[in-house]
Amino acid sequence: MKSRTLGQEFVKGLWAENPVSRQLLGMCSTLAVTNAVINGLAMGLAVAFVLVSSSLLVSLIRKVIPNQVRIASYIVIIATFVTIADRFMAAYFPPLSKALGPYVPLIVVNCIILGRAEAFASRNSAGRSLIDALGMSLGYTIALVILSAVRELLGSGTLLGRQVIGAWFEPWVIMLLPPGAFLTLGILIATALFIEQKSRRRRPA
Amino acid sequence: MKLPARMVVVLCSVSLLAAAFLAGVNLLTRERIAFNKQKEIEAAISLVIPGTRSSRKAYEERGFSVYAGVDENGSLLGWAVESAASGFQDSIVFLVGADAGLGRIRRLYILDQKETPGLGAKITDEKTFLQFWEGKDMNLPLALRKPPAGKEELGPAEVNTITGATISSEAVLSGVTVSLEKLRKLRSEGKLNVEGGHEK
Repeated sequence: MKSRTLGQEFVKGLWAENPVSRQLLGMCSTLAVTNAVINGLAMGLAVAFVLVSSSLLVSLIRKVIPNQVRIASYIVIIATFVTIADRFMAAYFPPLSKALGPYVPLIVVNCIILGRAEAFASRNSAGRSLIDALGMSLGYTIALVILSAVRELLGSGTLLGRQVIGAWFEPWVIMLLPPGAFLTLGILIATALFIEQKSRRRRPA
Repeated sequence: MKLPARMVVVLCSVSLLAAAFLAGVNLLTRERIAFNKQKEIEAAISLVIPGTRSSRKAYEERGFSVYAGVDENGSLLGWAVESAASGFQDSIVFLVGADAGLGRIRRLYILDQKETPGLGAKITDEKTFLQFWEGKDMNLPLALRKPPAGKEELGPAEVNTITGATISSEAVLSGVTVSLEKLRKLRSEGKLNVEGGHEK
């Protein structure tokens, strides 16, 4: 593995290895909660909290954990942070916790988090893992916000609950339903690949 | 340490630490979460029985609770029934308010639902659905109007159907009908506990 600078370690999560558009990880939550910007944002932040804390902890104790029980240990660690996030949301942001429903507990099985723990945090120093987790979280949150902005705008004519399109606009209800999520995600991934190809053609390797 | 022993020790300590940590978090947030739930119910009760200052539980069984809403003088304003109906996707938990004499519906409020966003989820919408329930006659069989009509054209026990979400509308209607029926029965049997509040 070629070594990256800390800056590159952070930036890769935003574009080149974006968890949603390039790694296609965590699709369940990505598709399910992005029907309103506030839900996408809250999900992104909850995942960020869990990803950053568990990556840091996994990296710190990576040398103590025997290889054979590593996945089990990671899952216990991740589940603990998820439960903390879930309880704090229910205590301090009840409307958000209601809107996200079962998807917060399901962060436990969000592949981004276990994926980063296994592929990165278990092999790198704590500092590097922290930077990696921050970049991945930001990349995930940005992707969720873009998806949910498109879906909320077309599906309800609002952004963050505020009416932005006039009353003449008949909302495309399908954008709020599962098919709308797949359509938007497909277009988002295609756009990301298209831009990637274009820029690669411009500066041949 | 030999490998099997180390595996057991590590996994056990990770789990024990996690459990201890979560116990602490639960201790910190438990009260606040219960308080939020309580507050949500109270807010909903004063919504479905306008003018309510305080409320108390008058009857409870699995999946069905009755609250008595009283004003600042302690006189009974009405009853609020919390119950659930099977919707299109999952249970629709609602709260329906009735006046003290069980003559008319005061208001309807949806506490929890997972209906289709943009269609069935309109059961939470004041303009397209909830407003039509206010003041309906409880002693006539409730009915749905399809297609929806103007508020003045609706009969004394008629409410509008949500276009494209007949199943959700019907679910709420049947849930409310059953709940009000049960409320009436409980009251005639004298099973509603109104201690503190006196009927006018």
